[in-house]
Order: sequence, then C-alpha cells, then structure tokens
Amino acid sequence: MLKVDVSVARGVCRVVLNGELDVETVPQLQEVVGTVRERTLEVDLSGVSFVDSTGLKSLLDINNDWRQKGGKMLILRPQPDVAEVMRLVGLDRLLEQNTAPVGEEREE
Amino acid sequence: MRRCLECAKKEPNRNCVECNYFIPAGPLRRVPSPPVRVLLEDEYGKQYPGHILVLSTREFGLETEAPIPGRYKIRLQDSLWVEVAGVPFKGKNNVHVFDILYVHRNQETAFRLSKEEYQLLGGSAGELVKEITRRLPEHLQDLVREKLLAEVEKSELINALKVGKVMKYEGGRFRYLSGQADLALPMQEAEKLMRQAIRQAEHRREVIISEDGQKVFDLHGVPFDHKSGGLLAFDITEVIEKERKMHRQEMQAYREAIAAVTGGRLNLANGEEIEKVVSEGTELVKGEVRQTLDIPEARRIIQEFLPSIDRRRWHAIALCLSEALTNALKHAGGGCWQARQSGDTVRVVVQDKGPGIKKSELTRATLMQHYSTKNSLGCGFTLMLYYADYLHLNTGPSGTTLAMDFYVVPAIS
Repeated sequence: MLKVDVSVARGVCRVVLNGELDVETVPQLQEVVGTVRERTLEVDLSGVSFVDSTGLKSLLDINNDWRQKGGKMLILRPQPDVAEVMRLVGLDRLLEQNTAPVGEEREE
Repeated sequence: MRRCLECAKKEPNRNCVECNYFIPAGPLRRVPSPPVRVLLEDEYGKQYPGHILVLSTREFGLETEAPIPGRYKIRLQDSLWVEVAGVPFKGKNNVHVFDILYVHRNQETAFRLSKEEYQLLGGSAGELVKEITRRLPEHLQDLVREKLLAEVEKSELINALKVGKVMKYEGGRFRYLSGQADLALPMQEAEKLMRQAIRQAEHRREVIISEDGQKVFDLHGVPFDHKSGGLLAFDITEVIEKERKMHRQEMQAYREAIAAVTGGRLNLANGEEIEKVVSEGTELVKGEVRQTLDIPEARRIIQEFLPSIDRRRWHAIALCLSEALTNALKHAGGGCWQARQSGDTVRVVVQDKGPGIKKSELTRATLMQHYSTKNSLGCGFTLMLYYADYLHLNTGPSGTTLAMDFYVVPAIS
C-alpha cells in the first residue's frame, strides 16, 4: 500500500509518500512522477515504513532522470530502517538527502 | 601380368586400368587401419578369430591361431564370403599369408576380391563412401558423399581416440566396420534409430543410457539408401562423468570463494544439503507468490505468524523475504515461501522453479555490493547478506532455493 501526494510550491515539486515502496507500489510512484515538470523534485519518505531494493532502484532511476534533464532530486527524512537500507546499497552517496524535519529543510 | 590375363580373356577390348579387378602392381599392398576383424571357419565349423593386417585382391595377411595348412571360410558380409587357404612357410609366428581361393557373392563366384570389396576392406573412408554412393543418382551423389564424409570424418577422429564404433546396417543386420569392437551397444535402441534414419532418409542422433544405467552412448544413424545405413556409436560415459566432475569442482570453487568473501555466511548448498535445510525445524507458515500483490501480502502474513520479535528483526525478515520473492517473481514467474523455526532461529525459505542463476553470474548476483549508476544489477543479495545471519543457496536448471536464517531475540515488552 502506498499513498502518493503531490504538491508544487515556488517551482519545487514535492511528492509525499505514505506506506510501503516495493515492487508492488513502484508503478504508482513512477506514474505520478512521470507527470511532474518542475526541475526540482523532493521525495518525502517520512511516512514510508518499508523500502526494498526495487523501491530504491526506482528512486535511483528518477534521480538519474532528473539529473539528465538538468534538474535535481532530493530525498527527505527517511525513517531509520529505510535510511539504513539506503546506506547499505550505497544510495546515500548517490542521492541528495535532507534529514531535517519538514519545514526547516530549506535555507532561504 | 597374370592378374590381367583373366580379364583379357573375358573382355579383350577393355584396358586393364578400367578393369574392376585391376590393382596396380605389388602384392599385399593395402594395410587396413585398424586391422579388420574376421572369423575363420574350418570345414567342421570350428571358428578361429583373426585380423586382416594386409591384403591384395588375391591374398590376405592374417594374424590368427588357425592351423596351417588348412582351408577356411571368412564371412565378410551377409552376401559375401571368401574361401582361403593358409600358405605354409610364408609367415612368422601367427601371421601368415592366406591365398584367396574363391570369393562367393550373391549369385557368382570369383577368384579374387572386386575393387569394391577390396576398398571396403582396405580402403580409406573416402573411397568407401565413393563406392557406396556410386549407384545413387548423380545429382545426389555429391550431397550424400559430403554428408557421409563429414560423418565418417567424425568417426575417424573418434576411431583415433578409440571411443567409438562404426557399424553398417543392411537388411536388418548390423555389421562391424571399425572402431571399438567390444563396445556393447544397446542394439535394440540402435536398430530403432537406424530404422528411423532410413525411413526418414536423414541423419538421426540420440543419446541413450544403457539398461543398467552405467553407460551413456551417443548414437548417430546415417542412411545410405532405402535399406542400409551406417551407425556411429560413441561411448560418452566418461565425457559426461568428466563434465559432471568439472561442474562439481567448479561449484566447489565458487562455494569456497563465496564462503570466504561472506565470512562463511553464504553457503552454496548442494541438492542433498538444501533438502535438509528446508525440512529442519517446524513449519510456521507458508505461501505462494504469483503476482506483485502477493509480496506485501506475504510480509503481512509472516509478521502475523512470527513469534513476537524485536521490530528491527522483523524489518530484516520482511525485507529479506521481499527481496527473495521479488527475485523469484522476476526470474521464475513466481515461487513459494515458508517460515520455519528451530530454537531461536527463524528460517525463511523461498523456492522457485526458474532456470536458476547462471554459474557465470553467481558471484556477481550474490556478491555485488552496490548499485552502479550505469548498470543496475539487483542489490537484493547485498541486503539479504547483511540482514540474514546465514544463507543457504541452491541453484540449478530446475530451480533455485534460498534459505535465510535469522537469530531472533524475543522482544522485550
């Protein structure tokens, strides 16, 4: 089960995920992200309790996609279990992350 | 020119060189390789084995224990037999010259071997093939010769290696031509194959295991015409054994390498071991995966059935189960899973009937640490290797079994 919410503010698209990101729900995320036109994409993982390698792979693919188009993707606030999995497969070094609580993550 | 006088009498206008019996000068000039095995039968029916070491159309140089002087019949083919007489004082030990007295063919009797017979006994494969195909329609000759030669060449190679046997099939019978004479073939199977080949007029090949299961034969049936053909038989038992042994050795090498790299935590198990692994302890719950939806469902079920354990441990088990099931779904279209418990170890087993992990991919699939940005190989195994305490993997062409052990500490409530 995965809930995907999209909002756009000041040219930044934020995708907030709630639930589990795995082989079953990855298509949902891909579908939503496919419609995003903003150059900056934030994926909020704070509500995600479970991510497997298929889920991580989709995040990496989206990241590469955005980079190619000259934009950037940011991962927000993964839960400890999810953060650990990302670190294990080396995604922490490939993806830009911001672990600060929502609302304080952007310096302006 | 005694040899030519006979012809001259019969067909005075024919040039000697065109004569069926014309063999250029020199007696006993042909050395068949290997020697042709024959049986010498005396007038009382007593048989002596022998080898034709050398021959001309009028004489054989035979290695045999048959007493000399003496007259013997030698059957060369069903419709071809010769009468010979040993020549005293010509020879050494048990190798003697035998004069050919008569050559009995279907309807006729001659005093020497025909060119065709001579070539059959002593000639090279090429000449034999040429003779055999001589009566075929011209447009077919080259094609058939080419094919036959290709087969015979193979068999000659096999001959040299002494692992094959070449036989001719004619009128429902097999006749030994060359190669390993003592190769005990499953003749019923061989005849079935030969008949098929002849009926369909094409090369047939089959690998057959002997009745006692001890030998493996590679049989080739090559049709010559509508009632005869050649059978090439190779004993490939050793080859197969060697292949198996190589496979075992290779697997052992992988096994050791993988165990070393993973600190002994990933065990490449053989069939026997894995059977034990999947039946140890008691079964807690099991399920099947046919579609992606079944994977989160499997996580839910396993959580329900697992004894109350630490949350982090549960996450580890759920993740590893997901990874293994995703692999099974991706590479085998699905599979089944079960959770077992023995003592404080929970074992999660995922089995599929897919094509297995290729040997060449095995180390990469199991040990590649990270996603690479270019080429994303699955990193599921990295996660399973990290979270599970012990892994048993068995993979082959009939499926893959992965068993993951987790030491569980009851959650402190």
